[in-house]
Amino acid sequence: MVELSPEVIEMVIRSASVIAAGLALIAGIGPGVGMGYAAGKATSAVRRQPEARGSIVTTMLLGQIISGSTGIYSLVIAIYLVFT
Amino acid sequence: MNNINDPNKMQIEILKRTYLISILPIAYGLISGEFETLLGFIFGLVISTLILRLRVINIERSLDMAEEKAEKFIRNRYFIEYTIYFIVLAVARLNPSLNFLATAVGLFMIKFTVLLWMLLDMVRGGLNKKLQEYKKLKEDKTEKGGN
Amino acid sequence: MVEFSPEVIDMVIRAAALLGAGFAMIAGIGPGIGQGYAAGKAVESVARDPEARGNIITTMLLGQAVAESTGIYSLVIAIVLIFTI
Repeated sequence: MVELSPEVIEMVIRSASVIAAGLALIAGIGPGVGMGYAAGKATSAVRRQPEARGSIVTTMLLGQIISGSTGIYSLVIAIYLVFT
Repeated sequence: MNNINDPNKMQIEILKRTYLISILPIAYGLISGEFETLLGFIFGLVISTLILRLRVINIERSLDMAEEKAEKFIRNRYFIEYTIYFIVLAVARLNPSLNFLATAVGLFMIKFTVLLWMLLDMVRGGLNKKLQEYKKLKEDKTEKGGN
Repeated sequence: MVEFSPEVIDMVIRAAALLGAGFAMIAGIGPGIGQGYAAGKAVESVARDPEARGNIITTMLLGQAVAESTGIYSLVIAIVLIFTI
């Protein structure tokens, strides 16, 4: 029967959780790409109609609030995993 | 009603409604519970307010650049915000006098408020439309009845 | 025949569950890109017709809230994996 000492068991579990945290943080690139696309479109929109600047900034702010919150879900899970 | 055109007014409206809705968790934290959930929640609220203000400044700065430059600018600034969120959550996790879950919920309050605001607007708009339809039906009935 | 003690078996299951939770959170890329794309198109159409702002913003937020649901599915799975298995 294969037996391992308790420290080895704890080491394996802890290393698995740290690897999982590193994988979970890959989801940080999603909102970045999305927000960058929106910023590019906003630039060309302002060039088209310089009077609608307030409306454009407001619309983009609402879009960014929702789009930037999905990256934080993965961050919460990753920090819970890393610090035991 | 999203007839607000000025970004500063929009920020103030969002923050007003967020603080109104966040009275519930603060009252819960005060009445039945420890001091840690309250502190964590207020921490999350304050940080999310500051990051909202930072985002508006970034957007206004990026509207005068060329198209590809604006994309890279906003992407870099988002990674800086991500690092700020990382530091805040790590501090809340390692500190025994701050609740981790309450901080995470505090960081999400603004998004929750915006979604609830949209839902209420849609419900109110639907009710107004139905009221107008009923009024039209009543007017048609009285016209036909009169003639 | 190789036999493992029960603690080793529990360790392997627990380590695999944690790795699975880490893999599940990669699905946070999807809603991020999609919601940003919707915001960009909404901004562009506001420049075309600044009068229809209310309708455009309502439609955009509706679409973004529906696209959010897949992200929440993966979050639920990750939480179940970490805390119960």
